[in-house]
Amino acid sequence: MKMQHSLFALAVATLVAGAAVAAEPEDIIKYRKNVMKATAGHMGATAAIVTGKVDYKGDLADHAKAIQALTKDTAALFPKDSDFGDTEALDAVWKKNAEFKKHAQQVKAKADAFVKVVATNDKAKIANGFKELNDSCKSCHKEFRKEQK
Amino acid sequence: MTGAFARTLVATGWLLAAPLLLAADPPPSGPMSPGEYIYRASGCYGCHTDEKGGGKPLAGGHALKTDFGTFYTPNITPDPDTGIGKWTEQDFIRAMREGRSPAGDHYYPSFPYPSYTKLTDDDLRALWQFLKTRPAVKQANKPHDLKFFARARTFVGSWKALYFKPGAYQPDPGRSAVWNRGAYLAEGAAHCGECHTPRSALGGIKSDMHFAGSKDGPDGSVIPNITPDRNTGIGKWSKGDLVTYLEMGLMPDGDSAGDLMAEVIDNGLRYLKKEDLVAIADYMQSLPAVEHAVHKPKKKQRSEFD
Repeated sequence: MKMQHSLFALAVATLVAGAAVAAEPEDIIKYRKNVMKATAGHMGATAAIVTGKVDYKGDLADHAKAIQALTKDTAALFPKDSDFGDTEALDAVWKKNAEFKKHAQQVKAKADAFVKVVATNDKAKIANGFKELNDSCKSCHKEFRKEQK
Repeated sequence: MTGAFARTLVATGWLLAAPLLLAADPPPSGPMSPGEYIYRASGCYGCHTDEKGGGKPLAGGHALKTDFGTFYTPNITPDPDTGIGKWTEQDFIRAMREGRSPAGDHYYPSFPYPSYTKLTDDDLRALWQFLKTRPAVKQANKPHDLKFFARARTFVGSWKALYFKPGAYQPDPGRSAVWNRGAYLAEGAAHCGECHTPRSALGGIKSDMHFAGSKDGPDGSVIPNITPDRNTGIGKWSKGDLVTYLEMGLMPDGDSAGDLMAEVIDNGLRYLKKEDLVAIADYMQSLPAVEHAVHKPKKKQRSEFD
């Protein structure tokens, strides 16, 4: 009886540990892509507001904050071993990891700055802040993402 | 301990404050001269600079991998020995308009003179004046590494007879000034069709597939269909979407331009006047829609019952 009990405990412990530690690389890749897509969705929506295509100025701050939240730690979305599978991440992400992290930091810095600039309501500053944020995304994609096929 | 803390602070500060020093053409230092404007629109820097190899601006050596072998772009800085410092304005105009070197040899059309030929004399002269102001770099040209059938320059002569029509852009009087300006920029300076139009086995532009994208672009890249076809092209993009893309490299779905086009935008198109970007968009949207899918179909997700 006691034996059975401890076996059960061991099984539970293994299950819990397994769930906590071994996220499948494929799941990480899917998660990462969803975070990226969510970010892109807010970027596209922001662009439509900033360039005056649509008049949802009241939503601008929400999009800015969402982008800020989604990009707070981009490098963490690229753990080791998440380089294989259905991913467009280039090997350089891991081989030049310090440089990659600099880009990720830059995106965070620009996203933080964009939230602040949106609060000023200054149209020119907002447009410029958005350009800088977009540039930070683009320069990282240029260096670290495979050309989409 | 304090030292380590200070170092961390400095490092963090640097990370957040310093702009990323990617190798890139520095932005214009002030209002652009007409020559610099054409230079930006024409994307000279992108091909004539070996950014990935850490090369100096316009000093050449950038490898262009094609079906005909690898072309290494030449040095176009004013260095008299290894660049184009000994050229005359006429030499330059002949190179751009006729695809011939000062010695009279044919250039391979990896140099997009079939597009540059459309530039006006005024723009070519302005561009020449601007190139002469670039810092000279001494760097010998690297010979092309071509497949056997492409090695003879006479091959290029025949190619030109088939595919090359020299001459400056002739405005279409039946179209608006905006449209004509857009056509001039897209077909001439920005040479969009050199990558975005697929080529035949002989490397000629397939004219009935104008701007319809290519599966074998430079360096094995897939070049998108940019005709107004709604399914395989960019027919769902509004004019404003196109302008935003050309100016920022941001697509309507919020994704960013890929590496080749990011370079074209970052070093060139973003510096063009808004009205010129609108003109290019106007022209692009007037093109015939060509149905031509270049991207691989998305892999179907396998379900557990497969």
